[in-house]
Amino acid sequence: MITNSTHSKSRSFFTSLGRYFLWTILTIFTLGPIYWMFVVSSRSPVQVYDKPNLVITSFYAENYTKVFEDRVVRTYMVNSLIVATTNAALVTTLALFATYALTRWKLKGSDSIFFWTITNRMAPPAAFILPNFLIFTQVVKFGDFMLFDTKIGLILVYCLFNLPFAIWLLKGMLEGIPLELDEAALVDRASRIQVLFKIIVPLAAPGLAITFILTWVFAWNEYILAASLSSSSARTITTRLAEYVTTTGTNYGELAAVAIIATLPAIIFLTFIQKYIVTGLTFGAVKE
Amino acid sequence: MLNTRKRRSLALASVISSLALVLSGCSSSSDSGSASGDDAWFASAAEKLECKGKTIKGVTENTPPGQYVKSDIIPAFEKATGMKVDLETTSWDEMYSKAINDMEAKTGIYDFVYIEQDIIYQYLKNDYLANISKEIANNPDLKAPSFDFAKFTSFINDFKNADGDVFGIPMEAFVKVYLYRTDLFNDPANKEAFKAKYKRDLVPATNYKEYQDIADFFTAYGKDKELWGTTVQAVTGHPASFYELFESILPTNGVYNWGISKNFKASAAAGGSMNSKAAKDAFAFWVGLLKDAPPESKQSTWTEVGTTFAAGRAAQGWVYGENVAWIATDAAKSKVVGKVGVALPPLGNPQVLADSKSGAGYLGYYDGGAFGVPASSKNITCSVLFQQYQGQESVQAKWAAAGSRIVMDSTYNDPIVQAQDEKTNGYYTFMKDQGSLFRGAPAFPFHTSVREVVAPFIYDAIAGKISTSDALDKAAKAADAEMKKLGY
Amino acid sequence: MKKSNTNRLGWILLSPSLFILGVAGLAPFFYVIYVGTHSWNIFSKERGKVFVGVQNYRDLVFDSAFLGTLSRTLFFSFLVVSIELILGFMLALSLMKDFRGKTFFRTVYVLPVVVAPIAVGATWRLMMAQGHGPVPFFLNKFFGWEFNTGASTTQAWIAIVLMDVWHWTPFVTLTLLAGLLAIPREPIEAASVDGANTFQMYRFLIIPMLLPVILITVFIRVMDSLRSMEDVYMLTNGGPGSSTTFVGLHIFRTVFAKQEYGYGSSMSLLVLYFTIVICWLLFNALTGKESKKK
Repeated sequence: MITNSTHSKSRSFFTSLGRYFLWTILTIFTLGPIYWMFVVSSRSPVQVYDKPNLVITSFYAENYTKVFEDRVVRTYMVNSLIVATTNAALVTTLALFATYALTRWKLKGSDSIFFWTITNRMAPPAAFILPNFLIFTQVVKFGDFMLFDTKIGLILVYCLFNLPFAIWLLKGMLEGIPLELDEAALVDRASRIQVLFKIIVPLAAPGLAITFILTWVFAWNEYILAASLSSSSARTITTRLAEYVTTTGTNYGELAAVAIIATLPAIIFLTFIQKYIVTGLTFGAVKE
Repeated sequence: MLNTRKRRSLALASVISSLALVLSGCSSSSDSGSASGDDAWFASAAEKLECKGKTIKGVTENTPPGQYVKSDIIPAFEKATGMKVDLETTSWDEMYSKAINDMEAKTGIYDFVYIEQDIIYQYLKNDYLANISKEIANNPDLKAPSFDFAKFTSFINDFKNADGDVFGIPMEAFVKVYLYRTDLFNDPANKEAFKAKYKRDLVPATNYKEYQDIADFFTAYGKDKELWGTTVQAVTGHPASFYELFESILPTNGVYNWGISKNFKASAAAGGSMNSKAAKDAFAFWVGLLKDAPPESKQSTWTEVGTTFAAGRAAQGWVYGENVAWIATDAAKSKVVGKVGVALPPLGNPQVLADSKSGAGYLGYYDGGAFGVPASSKNITCSVLFQQYQGQESVQAKWAAAGSRIVMDSTYNDPIVQAQDEKTNGYYTFMKDQGSLFRGAPAFPFHTSVREVVAPFIYDAIAGKISTSDALDKAAKAADAEMKKLGY
Repeated sequence: MKKSNTNRLGWILLSPSLFILGVAGLAPFFYVIYVGTHSWNIFSKERGKVFVGVQNYRDLVFDSAFLGTLSRTLFFSFLVVSIELILGFMLALSLMKDFRGKTFFRTVYVLPVVVAPIAVGATWRLMMAQGHGPVPFFLNKFFGWEFNTGASTTQAWIAIVLMDVWHWTPFVTLTLLAGLLAIPREPIEAASVDGANTFQMYRFLIIPMLLPVILITVFIRVMDSLRSMEDVYMLTNGGPGSSTTFVGLHIFRTVFAKQEYGYGSSMSLLVLYFTIVICWLLFNALTGKESKKK
């Protein structure tokens, strides 16, 4: 007995040592590029092109002040926030309804519908820019109003790739929730909608959280559609990043500063939502 | 549950948005009141033409000249006329697709667009642009007294049609020069060593052999000093390498207009010169320089060439004019401030100089762009009003200082420009005196299509996958096929 | 299950999604099909659309440049998805147990997913740049290795694979983790009581139950890696030569640089078709296995 416990103790010591080693290496690998991005943002152009120095010795604040003072950049940030958040909320909700329907009812043709929804996301985007542009400028046109360069337009067009993604993500998770739970509640005379909100949602909470974050991130980081379907009112911060690539020099310092600023809201979001995954876990563990 | 989580996320989102709004509240908007120009006339014209209160939209690239328009010229114009000008700055690739989509679909989104010198021919062929000369001629109220087509440099000719009507108002122009490090070239020790080895003086090269020698010399000299003998804009996968080869190198060996003849043939067998011996020799010379170039050269676009030079890593090279100014003057970006000089590019064939002087040929690239007004614009008159404003003589000097661009003859004589000229060791003087020997892109209405079919062979030759000779043979063949397909 | 008289509710719940995807997704799709049957280059002499039927597709089958990009893209996709799946699964398992600092490690680990592809490409490009990038500099300093992604195809591939793994493994880990957490405990506990060893538990219990989530994850990664463009383009420009030019970039160049809308549209559709076929095969392979087990 004693040998067993000491043996397992030393084994678990090595396993946890191995685990810490693994995760430390991973953390360095993960943070490396982000750290370098930050380092670049702290350097003046002449320093950026100098021999690489891993340590930050001076801080060239102009990269950041130029960005903060630019009213246009602030507009872009706000646009991105509105578009990404609205789209993520819309998509998560609609996908929840859709996957609830797909997993709880035998709807005719639901399998092929399911597969077909994802095809919207499969094609390389380049050839689809022109039709979307035409739709935005000529088809959806009421008098002077065009869908082009509006936040609503972007929110709707982002549904095309985020909605299938959310549906697919959630379907897998909802399928993992046993139908018996539904049955039990229905026997107790709950309505379908009540089953959705009182049973499914708590169990699927980790999935919903992840779907929300990921669709939010995809909408936030999307470049090609935002660039071609917006002009100045609805432009997002990600399109701003591409603007820095010019003929007179990619100003990497400023680009890095904008990239860091553009990534901050996402990081803040992420830290908050992480907690809900944990809360969701305790709900999810209590099954039956 | 769903609601609480959502509510909290929305609360979070609103915290972030309010933060953003607060930040936007405490902004110190730069009050740029560099209102130089005939503002009084423009104010009354805006009233008469009913442009006051209207908004016009433009799209251009996010470069220093473009930024200056946004930061200085537009606010002054808006203040004078009561109009609003919404200028969208984008990345280089995006700018074209947006302008072209708008003009082709006639959606009327933009009222003025940036036209690079190499694409004007495609735009003219497709009738994308409004005839600015005619607009002004047909509307006496529109003619600004402070605006005169004749004041522009001959660069404006590139934006005229066969009848001499103007379709674009130049807003930037540069020459791609032979840039060299004056400190390295003037150093006595270097001069001695060079003379001893090569039996001639260390001065900027005038032909390929001299250039090669200097490159070899400085590569050996700079062996442990992070210095190489030359830059080469040899990025594979980006048209910059194609451009350096076809626009700067081939002409110096007598291969003009990309080696495409007047009846649209590229292969030497069919009457073109893309795969002629002269072209192949020039290509081999250029690729041969890679051994004397810094390791980043195979990833260098015009951007990296500029920054490589600014980091002090090359002794000489072909550099775009818009980069010359900041390399020579901006200490925040360049380590070689005050240490560069400009010269005519080295020639492979001495006949090229006579050709360039007579106009039969050219020895380098004259770069630049203009603002044009789409024919599909819904505010042509008001847009032309703005074009004249930015084309006034009085706004040119400060704009030149900000973006090192010159489009008017008189700007050369302005004290601001002359001061900068000194600091760059005569870039502006060079452009004024020698600019006529340089030329822009050839007048092909299929510029991008042919570029895209030829470029892959250039990339492969740079990567060493095929020989330079084979590359040009294949390229000429592909170019001919493409032009035939397009109907030329 | 419930009878079809409440199918109506099911359809009502499904309809907003179907509506958006149908209306907004089909129209552009039909347009692309239409344009794909024409030859359309606005800078050709014959400026407008010229109907050519299926000629574009015939040309594509012999277009060696296109086929090259296609095979490269498929290989890249296979490579990165396999690596990410294996790594992601191991890391998800590791995150199931509680250990000190786990929240910190997990939060940090997920960061790459939120960075925009353009910024990812730009950062990695900066890290790999000659002269001022830390990677070649320190590899040379400490090991004497030459690392030049602009000159060596192998090294360019190493860089882009690393970049993709860095960017997307956290996504795979997260989804697999959520899937693992949703697996009910009792079957596992029951099996353990019955004396099943770890390997058997994984093979017959955990992985099958996790299959839907694995499937979705693989699909999404395969689809996205076949479409990806901005990050690889920023890092290598498709070079050296054309060795990292993938289908997304090739189509982009055809449509925007060459202004060949017709050919580009047909290319897009062909790639879409390929992607659908691959996904369909994967779908069947993985769900086929599942039904066999049952």
